[in-house]
Amino acid sequence: MKQIQRDGLLFELVDELAEHGSWCGETHIQKAAYFLEEMMEVPLNFPYVLYKHGPFSFDLSDELASMRADALLEWEIKPEPYGNTLRTTEESKRLREKIPRTMERYRPAISFVAQKFGQRGVKDLEKISTALYVTKEMPGGERDVRARRITKLKPHIPYDEAEEAVRFVDEMIAEAVPLKGSSELRSRT
Amino acid sequence: MSNAYQKIYPNRFSTHTLRKVNKQVSFFGERLLEKKVRGTAKKNNHEIRDPMYAFVHMDSNEREVLNSAPVQRLRHIHQLALTHLVYPGATHRRFEHSLGVMELATRIYDIVIENRYTDALGIDGDYEKEYYRRVLRMAALVHDIGHAPFSHASEDLFPPGWDHEAMTLRLIESEEMGRIWKRLKIQTDDIAKLAVGPKHYKKEILSNTEAILSEIITGDTFGADRMDYLLRDSHHSGVAYGRFDHYRLIETLRVLPKTYEDGSMEPALGVESGGLQSAEALLLARYFMFSQLYFHPVRRIYDIHLKEFLQAWLEGGHFPTDVDGHLTLTDNEVMSAIWKASRDPELPGHDAAERIVKRNHYRALYTRNPNDVLKNREAGLAIYTAACERFGEENVHHDRPRKSAGRVMFPVLEQDERIVSSLSKSDNLQHIPEVAADTVYINPELLDAGREWLKENRESVIESAVELEDER
Repeated sequence: MKQIQRDGLLFELVDELAEHGSWCGETHIQKAAYFLEEMMEVPLNFPYVLYKHGPFSFDLSDELASMRADALLEWEIKPEPYGNTLRTTEESKRLREKIPRTMERYRPAISFVAQKFGQRGVKDLEKISTALYVTKEMPGGERDVRARRITKLKPHIPYDEAEEAVRFVDEMIAEAVPLKGSSELRSRT
Repeated sequence: MSNAYQKIYPNRFSTHTLRKVNKQVSFFGERLLEKKVRGTAKKNNHEIRDPMYAFVHMDSNEREVLNSAPVQRLRHIHQLALTHLVYPGATHRRFEHSLGVMELATRIYDIVIENRYTDALGIDGDYEKEYYRRVLRMAALVHDIGHAPFSHASEDLFPPGWDHEAMTLRLIESEEMGRIWKRLKIQTDDIAKLAVGPKHYKKEILSNTEAILSEIITGDTFGADRMDYLLRDSHHSGVAYGRFDHYRLIETLRVLPKTYEDGSMEPALGVESGGLQSAEALLLARYFMFSQLYFHPVRRIYDIHLKEFLQAWLEGGHFPTDVDGHLTLTDNEVMSAIWKASRDPELPGHDAAERIVKRNHYRALYTRNPNDVLKNREAGLAIYTAACERFGEENVHHDRPRKSAGRVMFPVLEQDERIVSSLSKSDNLQHIPEVAADTVYINPELLDAGREWLKENRESVIESAVELEDER
């Protein structure tokens, strides 16, 4: 995937998250992009490590900063005491118009993730994204094994909440199958 | 005592530092007297002169780490690679930077421990305080030991999957260092976590305590590493932009709860409101230093020529990652090889070596322009690709370094005890630009032809390269 395509998909993700009521801080964008990549198979190619709020990509963080440098994203200052949000600019919309096929191909996957994540706060996103991380780490692992693994990785998450997060991810995986990023491409070839 | 110091070093010591110095002098003096009386006087505390902070202190146990082969090797690794070819004063090494990071990290630690706003730091009791203080100091001292010759300039020449942080971890876990950690009664893993931070330590997730301590060393906003390199690089290069009031800033650093929109919180390094201006100055200094010094186009092209030479000169084109191989390779060996290769066309890397020695570097043909970015975010790449077709790949280089301006959002403690976001308190922070560069270089012999070509084709190349979707 070329830079311009990746850029366009990230801008779309930011807009969709905002549309679905997300706070749209960097943490929200990070988690949604992680799901886009790992669950929906959209090849953004950002490497992730397990960090404070679950999977986190330092490269994506740099990329978001770089987009601000290029006036494609901007801060929106929110009331105290919370952090601020990121918004796309008019320039980012022009950029997306140049990649209509890419947008068409991946928009369903982006909408799906944004809809699932829009109303969730960082605490929830931490649990869910860690659940997906653990699910990728131990494919086919029983639900309780994965839930225990989450509580080991993140001792502040109680077992029942970890299990609920794993259940949510399993359901999301089942729902995601027909929408996966590469599925349309596969059907074309 | 304090008056005398202030006369000699005006602006060098904060009240807090002076109090500490006095306390230490008194403590050390008593210990010395005690030992002399017993007839076994042996100096346990050592001072090292430093151009930035007057003195860096360490005890005899800590000096074992300083004297270890990986840390001593840093005396022979330039902090800023070949930058001295552009800024002649910039000949300082990673060694003194590492000492500086240890000193600043210690000052930050002492301040945040003494001025606890929350117990989120999770360090309780004298033993834990002293233990983590020592771990932090030693992690700061060794945080750069994995650097290859000429530091960041040659980072890409580690084998795939390796970088200087991975090499730092290998050295921290080496036999030599393991023996020293044991004598110092500190855990190797604790040093490793703090030295490389959560991005590079993959064995487990860092606890809140470890994450904050690691932030004190490597943090993107208030990390001692960042503070020291800005101050030190500025001092040695003569580029004044890197200066900021680090005394004031450090005095006002606090561990504060950072609040998210769902009400969840986590501890983060922030400042008291009185330190906000010095935090702004730090982040502005970072912006100016990147745009004026680190991303200076001539400085960057020397990095590229150096890399070309090393690729040809190193066995297999990569740095060794075994401990012995790493420890025996410094800037000295490379510089000696460059001198030799520059005089002998038969030797590998001759062309790049000659360009470095004779200062016949490639010249900037195209530099980043915000208007071009609006037309095509990869304008430099478009120019580079077209220039390669026109002048040959061997005659053109492309450089697009990226660096965030640093995290500008951090908690600020108001005088009425409210904690607010830095961005809501500071218009300056909202508008600090991110640093970006995008440069295409050309062989100096083709510079005139290149300029002529660019003049005629610039717009069409940038516009026509706005393509372009892959099938994936």
